[in-house]
Amino acid sequence: MDGFESRRPQRIPQRRPWSITQQQTARGPGDDPRIGVFICHCGHNIAGYLDVAALVASARSLPFVVLAQDSLFTCSDAGLNQIRTAIAEHGLNRVVVASCTPRTHEPLFQSACDEAGLNRYLFEFVNIRDQCSWVHMEDGERATRKARDLIRMGVARAALLQPLTETELAIQPAAAVIGGGMAGMTAAGSLARRGFSVTLIEREPALGGSVRHLDTLYPNRTSARKLVEAQVAAVRAEPQIEVLTSAEVTAVRGSIGHFELEVESRQYRMKLPVQAGVVVVATGAEEWKPAGMYGYGHNPAVITQQELEERLSTGDLPPDLRSVVMIQCVGARDAHHPYCGRTCCLVAMKNAMILKEGNPACQVHVLYRDIEVYGTHFEDYYAQARELGVVFTRYTPDRPPEVVGDQGRAGDKQTPVPPGRVLVYDELLGATLAIPYDLLVLSTPMVPRPGARELAQMLKVPVDEHGFFLEAHVKLRPLDFATDGIYLCGSAHWPAHLDEAIGQALGAAARAATVLSKEQIRSSGIVSRVEESLCRGCERCATACEYGAIEFVDVTRSVEFLHRPMARGLETVHVKVARVNPMLCKGCGACAVVCPTSAMVASHFTGEQVAAMIRAALQAPAAMGEDHGTL
Amino acid sequence: MNEVLVIGAGIAGIQAALDLAEQGLRVHLVERLPSIGGRMAQLDKTFPTNDCSTCILAPKMVDCSRHPNIVPHTYSEVEAVEGEAGQFDVRVRKRARYVDETRCTGCGECASKCPRKVPDAFNLGLSQRRAIYLYFPQAVPMVMTIDPEQCTYLQRGKCGLCAQVCEAGAIDFEQQDLLLDLCVDAIVVATGFDFYNPAPLTQYGYQRYPNVITALEYERLISASGPTGGHLLRPSDGQPAKKIGFIQCTGSRHVRHNRYCSTVCCVHAIKEATLAWEHDHDADSYVFYTDLRGSGKGFREYMDRAGRAYGVTYVHGRVAQIFELGPGSDSAGETHKPVIRYEDATTGRVAEMAVDLAVLATSLVPAHDAPLLAGILGIDMDEYGFVKTEPFSPADTSRPGIVACGCCLGPADIPQSVAQASAAAARAAEIAWELVRPRHREKG
Amino acid sequence: MEPFEPTILTFACNWCSYAGADLAGVSRIQYPPTTRVIRVMCSGRVSPVFILEALRHGADGVLVTGCHPGDCHYLSGNEKAVQNVEMARSLIQLLGIDPGRLRLEWISAAEGSRFAQLVTEFTDQIRELGANPLRNGHMGP
Repeated sequence: MDGFESRRPQRIPQRRPWSITQQQTARGPGDDPRIGVFICHCGHNIAGYLDVAALVASARSLPFVVLAQDSLFTCSDAGLNQIRTAIAEHGLNRVVVASCTPRTHEPLFQSACDEAGLNRYLFEFVNIRDQCSWVHMEDGERATRKARDLIRMGVARAALLQPLTETELAIQPAAAVIGGGMAGMTAAGSLARRGFSVTLIEREPALGGSVRHLDTLYPNRTSARKLVEAQVAAVRAEPQIEVLTSAEVTAVRGSIGHFELEVESRQYRMKLPVQAGVVVVATGAEEWKPAGMYGYGHNPAVITQQELEERLSTGDLPPDLRSVVMIQCVGARDAHHPYCGRTCCLVAMKNAMILKEGNPACQVHVLYRDIEVYGTHFEDYYAQARELGVVFTRYTPDRPPEVVGDQGRAGDKQTPVPPGRVLVYDELLGATLAIPYDLLVLSTPMVPRPGARELAQMLKVPVDEHGFFLEAHVKLRPLDFATDGIYLCGSAHWPAHLDEAIGQALGAAARAATVLSKEQIRSSGIVSRVEESLCRGCERCATACEYGAIEFVDVTRSVEFLHRPMARGLETVHVKVARVNPMLCKGCGACAVVCPTSAMVASHFTGEQVAAMIRAALQAPAAMGEDHGTL
Repeated sequence: MNEVLVIGAGIAGIQAALDLAEQGLRVHLVERLPSIGGRMAQLDKTFPTNDCSTCILAPKMVDCSRHPNIVPHTYSEVEAVEGEAGQFDVRVRKRARYVDETRCTGCGECASKCPRKVPDAFNLGLSQRRAIYLYFPQAVPMVMTIDPEQCTYLQRGKCGLCAQVCEAGAIDFEQQDLLLDLCVDAIVVATGFDFYNPAPLTQYGYQRYPNVITALEYERLISASGPTGGHLLRPSDGQPAKKIGFIQCTGSRHVRHNRYCSTVCCVHAIKEATLAWEHDHDADSYVFYTDLRGSGKGFREYMDRAGRAYGVTYVHGRVAQIFELGPGSDSAGETHKPVIRYEDATTGRVAEMAVDLAVLATSLVPAHDAPLLAGILGIDMDEYGFVKTEPFSPADTSRPGIVACGCCLGPADIPQSVAQASAAAARAAEIAWELVRPRHREKG
Repeated sequence: MEPFEPTILTFACNWCSYAGADLAGVSRIQYPPTTRVIRVMCSGRVSPVFILEALRHGADGVLVTGCHPGDCHYLSGNEKAVQNVEMARSLIQLLGIDPGRLRLEWISAAEGSRFAQLVTEFTDQIRELGANPLRNGHMGP
């Protein structure tokens, strides 16, 4: 048992103390806003429809505007130089560009500000091309009026922009991989080859996961045992990987860059702390047991595919099987599990072929709903199985197979019992077939491992309605969780063929390496922040946050109790306040909306900034000392 | 800095490039077309979430173009590769756009003046573009390209209107192809796939009957940014299509065409049928299938829901033939109505169904120039013409240092392609890392 | 008398709807110049207070736009937008403002024509309702 060899747990060697450091801020706003407005002709695209000269003139008259200029192409070198020069010469502390769209050009102008020493968040973009000149080509006058309003709105917001800092966080260059099956070992191996330390945590005493229970693997009959043994040997030989078997994660603290896992080791009878910059979840899945279906559980001739596989590998099958029937989609695509098990058709084909090759006289029937052999090689595999004489018969859920007679022979070959039969309606023949069986093999779907939900709660990541881990985005982020720094691979995500699981494991390693290969990661400046003096710790913001970015800390606060004349003076009280982890916050601003005391501020899209734009659009008087509630 | 070449800038190439760049490697991203984005840019929505394809793809495209470690080479092709892992010498031909990328703002003024109209390849010829064109509205880079075969000036030295109206002075008729010599540690192949042209399957009447279209053409028709503004109109007469037949396995699972299963078509057709219903609740769709396959996450529930709630009927049976009703044979006087003749597997009988639109789920096949590229790269292809890998080593090609991902390995859906792309990035980074590690040690 | 020219404030999320509005431009789809777009990162950022602020200062209509259900860049921001807009709707009714002046719509990055069509439609709808009675400060807080 490889889990019990004497290998002392070594702590991760190159632990780097992590710290949050603030990036140096470029020049801040200074005293009064000094705004420069740059209006782009975009060749003919804006100037051909809008009266740019009028826009420049009206911009000049706006509060805090010290400079308004136009240029043929603001995004050209000349245009950018104009901005950089003006920042220096006119002491601008805010820049507004009215041109195409921030979606393509904001970073360019922000960089120009940066280069001139102005914090990039003191830049404001006004879209007068894509959303103005191009959509009102027939009505230049009204379009110009609209552009003037848009520029007024941009200037109003610019006056309230604040310099923002991008937080930098040192990364612990180590990974924790949870699950020591083929996926987990593959991910650990790839990360180790990239030079990162890895702690591989496996619940069982041995590495190998579910592949250890298999006999041979499709499509080329590789021995599962040999493949696993080779992978385990590679992992054990890698000095960068520390393996903890008989170990389970019992608590998770921290976030991207500095996770701390508490791992309970049955081997060392102690709780071990594991520190890591990222976590990879590779906990796999297991075969569902179809208790009570088709006689499973009380008829020894009824077994699951995995049980057949185990008997194939131990040679524990009667040599003279005459007929084996396999039923697909048992407990899948039905009320038990609405999904398709993805791998079961291939498993059935492979085992059917092994039976057929071992004993060509043995009849093997596979009763299926839709044969799930997608792609190039799997379809070929299906053809091979048919060539070998495996009989595939389609059934529909409204006429599922039925088992009659009590049992087959496999359980006890000494006692001659009349063989059981499987009745199935064959739609091609238009008739019901009665197929005798010695062995009835049920193909059932994979289901999440027990404990997956608990692990998900510890990691604060979601699972889907079936209990599989839920990725950040079904299409484009299949290996990420929405929470940064946690990755996913293998059948913990969804039933996967071994090839797919290995691919996902390598992929998860790459995703994890994008974090680990940086000494530091940097947040966006557009993150929420808390005015602690206003926060009363109601936790509504944390409920609204999808990213677990808000935590609560106890702070001491000096309070003067004015209404208690006898006990006048400062008193120290302990209060709970919200704190935003800038590495996890995505800046959506949902927290600011629900905050009842305006303590939560959505930076760069603050209530004041948005309100200023609204008022400017409507030419309402600016808010002067007016309280406008929880903006 | 160690460098990696990524060939192909569809979603797989983009993901691989981003994963490599984020690991601190410099990435050369070579794309044959004028814009990155690949096939996914042509899709309207994506199953099983019906996410808008552009909405999720465009930010990744922009990330790619802005990343300090990614050097995009669009409208470029790899011509030669020599050397070995750790030191591949690569020659890239950057084709002349006849437009200065550094000056062009993509404003499109030139295209509005260009007199030469040609079929728009991005819209599969369902609409027209000009000889100077933006590949699609969200193209990255957002610069125009002149089609030298079609441009009157380049062909005959006359016209030049685009140069006259371009205020940025970006038109350059003298531009030449550029040859770049790169030296990279590893190569990621992500060259994608083509759709099978169903013309040889004469029994379906594609190109003979106007209302028989392919699934990708349907995708452009139903796309809000497509040639009909997202209205599902019959090509024959521009009338709304109310009854749609989807013919699965067009060229797939067929001994004479492509033996294999194209993996995505079942759920793809169901998505297209669902979109028809979303646009028009009176629309009825019929999916004619051999096996209804969909084992990805959430796929089966999606298929079941489409059948229950979105007017999609599944018909088990292979389509034998599509023909057109002759003029006047339809009581409503409609012409060009495709009639689907099929064998209903549940009854064993041959039946016919007249529809407004017949949509062929054409196979995913190797890219037309895959053999050429395989020769240049010196990698083995499998018996189907896709890039060959060994079992349990899903990213590595036959040549050390060259890895692959996405549909150049065989048909795959988007999440599979993205996961494979990250896997290829992992292997490429391992190769590059093996080579930088000693240097790091010297420094430290 | 000049025809009534409504002022509509549109809140657009950065990822889908703002991109959709841009696409209308790239495709040169024309619509009336009646709306002023305010970009926010997510439709879930649009506080009911913003909507009230706009209407009480005389906006004739407020259009809140976000990603289609399931498409939200921030997972559930558009679901929050539904709640926030509903809350605002009940509040403006208390103020005597026609709830037809407030709309919540989903616009994807590929729906340039839909953006244009919505603005056109909403403009017509607001023209029928007439100017916001609070426009000239008839009623203050």
